[in-house]
Amino acid sequence: MSRKIALPVWELTLVLMVIAAGAWSSTLSEYYLSVDQIFGSTRFFIIPGLMALGLAMVVSTGEIDISLASTIAVGTVTLSKLAAFGVPAPIAIVVVVVVGCLCGLINGLLVARWKLPSLAVTLGTMGAFRGFAFIVGSEVGYTDFSDAYLYTGSEYVFAGIVPVSLFVFLAAALVVAFVMHRTIFGRQCFSIGLNADAAWYAGVDIVRTKILTYVAAGALSALASVVWIGQYGSARGDNADGSILFVVTAVVLGGVDINGGRGTIGGVVLALCLLGTIRNGMGLANIGGPSQTVVLGALLVAGVLRPVLAAAVLKLARRPRAA
Amino acid sequence: MTTQAPAPTGSSRSLMQFALRLREAGVLVFLIVLGLTFTLLSPQFLTVQNLTVVASSASILAIAACAQAIVLFTKNLDVSVGSIMGMVAYLTADYAANHPGITPVELVVIPLVIGGGLGCINGLLVALGKVPALIATLGTMSLYRGATYIYAHGQEVTSSRLPHWMLSSVDARLAGFPVIVLVAAVIVALVGWWLSAFPLGRRIYAVGSNQVAAWFFGLRTERVIVFAYVACGFLCGVAGLLYAARVGTVTVVLATGWEMSSLAAAVIGGVSVSGGSGTVVGAALGAVVLATIDNGLVLMGVPEFWRMFIQGCAIVAAVAVDAMIATGIRRSLGRQRRG
Repeated sequence: MSRKIALPVWELTLVLMVIAAGAWSSTLSEYYLSVDQIFGSTRFFIIPGLMALGLAMVVSTGEIDISLASTIAVGTVTLSKLAAFGVPAPIAIVVVVVVGCLCGLINGLLVARWKLPSLAVTLGTMGAFRGFAFIVGSEVGYTDFSDAYLYTGSEYVFAGIVPVSLFVFLAAALVVAFVMHRTIFGRQCFSIGLNADAAWYAGVDIVRTKILTYVAAGALSALASVVWIGQYGSARGDNADGSILFVVTAVVLGGVDINGGRGTIGGVVLALCLLGTIRNGMGLANIGGPSQTVVLGALLVAGVLRPVLAAAVLKLARRPRAA
Repeated sequence: MTTQAPAPTGSSRSLMQFALRLREAGVLVFLIVLGLTFTLLSPQFLTVQNLTVVASSASILAIAACAQAIVLFTKNLDVSVGSIMGMVAYLTADYAANHPGITPVELVVIPLVIGGGLGCINGLLVALGKVPALIATLGTMSLYRGATYIYAHGQEVTSSRLPHWMLSSVDARLAGFPVIVLVAAVIVALVGWWLSAFPLGRRIYAVGSNQVAAWFFGLRTERVIVFAYVACGFLCGVAGLLYAARVGTVTVVLATGWEMSSLAAAVIGGVSVSGGSGTVVGAALGAVVLATIDNGLVLMGVPEFWRMFIQGCAIVAAVAVDAMIATGIRRSLGRQRRG
């Protein structure tokens, strides 16, 4: 890896795109360029952001987990049950994270230990977890959360400007970035994604590493469910249904190779900023939900077509020289 | 590969075929066990009327599962199945409502063209754009659905605006059999025949078994994959049209979540997500299994959300069974490979 010369081109492009999206948003509304609006708009991507950090870890090993949105539903319903029994909030949060880890462990065991295709498995557990959440929580939403439960997702600090959940997200992002880019474990994840056979010959415990990434993704989704409770104040089996599109888009747009082995957590965070800004801007511009979904889908396709397009441009640029 | 794989001799090939046939027989046995259980638990289950309901509700899902299976054979998948069905259904119904003099030929051709076109976009993205199938179709899933929303402007097409013959032909019966079941059976049989007896059908399996080998053999793998997606879109068009005619009132959320059901049906029916194996008949059987579970749960008064849980668990179980069969085949071929 020629680390010294390689500039993070894609990350820099993302920074430019975030600035451009911000500039576009500021032309839409005079209220855009205010500190509390910008910090407030981070709410748009904190829940999918936590999921995206987990998904990025899983994708780095060449696997995928589309059951994360359902893990959120399991998490919120668990929280509602704990709240109904009057469990103190800190303990409840720990319990929910453990539950999230268990969901991840199920996926991890099925995919890594029993070597089943991750896409089909997590598609199955996506339905199973959400069904489980409905069975436990019934179809009636639970809304009687005490303030202690809502604190993480709804409170603002520093003169009521910066959401607490932003700190949760940043802390999680820093930890995940450290683990993925500065530890042996992280290097092993990427090595599995690049070439699982080579990693195995090099002595990497593939099963253990993959299971750990799934468990981490489950834990991060459980954390996201705590934020969800604070933002929406309601727990039901259909929580976060359909949000996996945003999450996968963020990971792919962030430059993580969907086949594994490449990518940076910084890129994912920047992609989240970009998507959050675009979504916020579209909200300001009065663009409806369906159109936003179309834009999101187009961005996802554009994100994955990026290497192909880049190769095509390179080919075109080289042709005259060769002739 | 370190160990030399033995050339597929007659015995090992027949063993593989035997295992695959066993897999389909397994679905059939499971279906019978399921039927017996429901018969014991609910007296209404084993009645002609109820079984007709099960068959009718399974028929559209069987076509969608068939569509999904063709793409799965090539080692890809299509999660935009539900969105294609929704878009086809809405556009066709809208056209029929605004052109009262629509002929049956038009009504069949329009969904096929739209479905094939949408499938073609998927295929081009996957085959030429080299985008992983999940990502490409996840993107087009939201694109197609969103486009339908934008086109519809929050409107819906009510059954009173649709031609009467369109709605009544779906409920019609031929010698006591619902026409819709016969249509589905004929389509599944035709597609199954085409896949097993025609070169293009065989190529679809070949590409899914081993794309590199198929390419070295001289198959234009990209074209085969695009074609599989077009065929998938065609069948989704048929399924969307039938669904629209069956429900009568066409809304933009029609067939939401069918990507999941169609995939579940195909996987339960023994279509491998690793490509190259399975049959459309199996996928159709999987659809019947799902419809039977749905029906049985309703008869037993089980809350609706158990269905999601059972469907999810069934997918995981089916995938696990397939993996076990694959391991068994590999072992019997004497190839020791680390998965």
